[in-house]
Amino acid sequence: MFQLSPGTEAERGRKRARVVSGRQSCPLSAGRSHFSARRSSESRRPSEVPAMSARGCKPSRLLLPALLLLLLWLPRLAVDAAGAAGARWNGEGTSPNLQSIFLGRCNDYRPLLSPEEQNKNCTAIWEAFKLVLDKDPCSVLPSDYDLFISLSRHSLPRDKSLFWENNHLLVTSYADNTRRFTPLCDVLYGRVGDFLSWCRQENASGLDYQSCPTAEDCENNPVDSYWKRASIQYSKDSSGVIHVMLNGSEPTGAYPIKGFFADFEIPYFQKDKITRIEIWVMHEIGGPNVESCGEGSVKVLEERLEEMGFQYSCINDYVPVKLLKCVDHSTHPDCALNSSISSSMSSMHKLIHVTRHRSFRLTVAE
Amino acid sequence: MANHRFSPVSEGEQPCCDISRKAQICLCVVLSLLVLVIIAVVTAILMWPRSPPNHKEWQGSGTTAHFGDIVLGRCYTYTQIVRPELRDKDCQKIQEVFLKSFLSKDPCDATEQDYQPLIELANQTVPCNKTVFWSKTKELAHQYTRVQQALFTLENTLLGYIADDLSWCGDSGSSEINYQSCPTRRDNCSSNPVSVFWNTVSKRFAEDACGVVHVVLNGSLNEAFDRRSTFGRVEIHNLHPKKVHTLQAWVMHDIGGVRSDSCSSSSIRDLKSIISERNITFTCQNNYRPVRFLQCVKNPEHPSCTSGI
Repeated sequence: MFQLSPGTEAERGRKRARVVSGRQSCPLSAGRSHFSARRSSESRRPSEVPAMSARGCKPSRLLLPALLLLLLWLPRLAVDAAGAAGARWNGEGTSPNLQSIFLGRCNDYRPLLSPEEQNKNCTAIWEAFKLVLDKDPCSVLPSDYDLFISLSRHSLPRDKSLFWENNHLLVTSYADNTRRFTPLCDVLYGRVGDFLSWCRQENASGLDYQSCPTAEDCENNPVDSYWKRASIQYSKDSSGVIHVMLNGSEPTGAYPIKGFFADFEIPYFQKDKITRIEIWVMHEIGGPNVESCGEGSVKVLEERLEEMGFQYSCINDYVPVKLLKCVDHSTHPDCALNSSISSSMSSMHKLIHVTRHRSFRLTVAE
Repeated sequence: MANHRFSPVSEGEQPCCDISRKAQICLCVVLSLLVLVIIAVVTAILMWPRSPPNHKEWQGSGTTAHFGDIVLGRCYTYTQIVRPELRDKDCQKIQEVFLKSFLSKDPCDATEQDYQPLIELANQTVPCNKTVFWSKTKELAHQYTRVQQALFTLENTLLGYIADDLSWCGDSGSSEINYQSCPTRRDNCSSNPVSVFWNTVSKRFAEDACGVVHVVLNGSLNEAFDRRSTFGRVEIHNLHPKKVHTLQAWVMHDIGGVRSDSCSSSSIRDLKSIISERNITFTCQNNYRPVRFLQCVKNPEHPSCTSGI
């Protein structure tokens, strides 16, 4: 499983965050300034032509190339005049080499499938996915991915589903490439699109590599619809104990009332296949404790699950995940464990319908 | 089996029937025999267990299915998403050169030179103090660098990332990839494409290291430091004393496992002497805390993960 370069979590958080402002400050502004720099140098060029004629070149010879150059620049100038500044949408453009990455990931995934499922045809899966690339980038519905899902769908191991909000990297690390858990990005139909972006150009065929629409631009954009469809399937195919990892240090709340988990996962939980739901509210080591079990949006989630008739439990700073966070903060006092906690840890997992408010301090023997 | 049936031929019916009856019979017999031989040969070819033309059969599993696609996809993922500072690498070329390194060559005679063009193309500088070696601790080392993203094991570099867990080989008699089987040591083939690849890139990885380098070792094995491992055979001998001033070893014990080796044991002292002889400082820590936390993720309730010192 790949890692990200430090600092890309914010940029790549588009899948989960409906808040666009943070992401806008990264690749897009760089693109804008680059474009305006080019424009200013190009607009200088026509003026160089008269200078050359002053040196004694025949004006008629230079007129034609000058006109041609002007014709090439006119569309760009028009676009600039319209204020679009080269980026039509708010989101990242299509990922370069999309097809190669997609096929590589699909073929790479086979070992994780059961023997019967290993004959999946990655070319056919790509062809099915590709259909949305012919559609208007604001008219792509989740159902447009139905064929893609039907070809790439596979069984999910029981008790291993891991849902989450606002902690993509932590989830990836903890899941450990399906060794511990199987979050959506470790399922074939989630793996192929992870951290990628794609869309057709607005008024032409061919992919738009400059920008793609986000939810702010239009609801039915290719990437959001993909994740909606994938989330629905993931939910429907999950069984046994369901785990949810939330970020209790997230300023906007641990459980986004409107989000992929709330709108496209919870509603599709299959009651007859699910035994219970376990929520982990993780906090940053030494970070703010914005919400914990039984508080704020977490309480909203708990009440919703109760209303739906699910058995649930909630744990603050679930120890195995906290241990993982402590790798990066091994000397922090919050990573020192006192033994009085150890006895309560075993009873913790058996509790149902209870919210816990303790935070655990961990230490590790040398 | 002779063909007994023959029909009386009336004279003058067909031009060929000018020959004598005996000759006709002979001809019929010969023709039938010929047909039977052809049928037998064709049947033999069809029924014979088919092996691809010109591919030898080896003990190891064949080239990973869709090897080319996987290599290309991983290259793009790495250079565009994992380490975007390498976005100018030509992945198409890298894939091409990778394939050329072993296709049409004897898979029992792979050499370091075969991989030089690939290494040059995929060349990458790992920052000083960020190199992490491992020996018999692959999973743990990778879990660690997944969390500490500034650190690099070999598999966190472009080439290592591309090739990790893949197998590949060709054949001198054909320009095709051998998907059926590939040679291993069991075939008396230590110079097979995969082994030579890892020896070559490990050597380069060690040569390029600078500052403080680290190694994750398994103290629950009989020998935490094994001279025959890639680390022991290749990597430590290619560290550049002018660039690398310290090797820091972390000897990790399995949670609930035996503590057969530790910083004070003989295999580690062996490692220490080799390193010191090369004018590199050697330091060692048992159960280095950050990595210990990782081990505890799987065993959070074990006493060594819960009790204070």
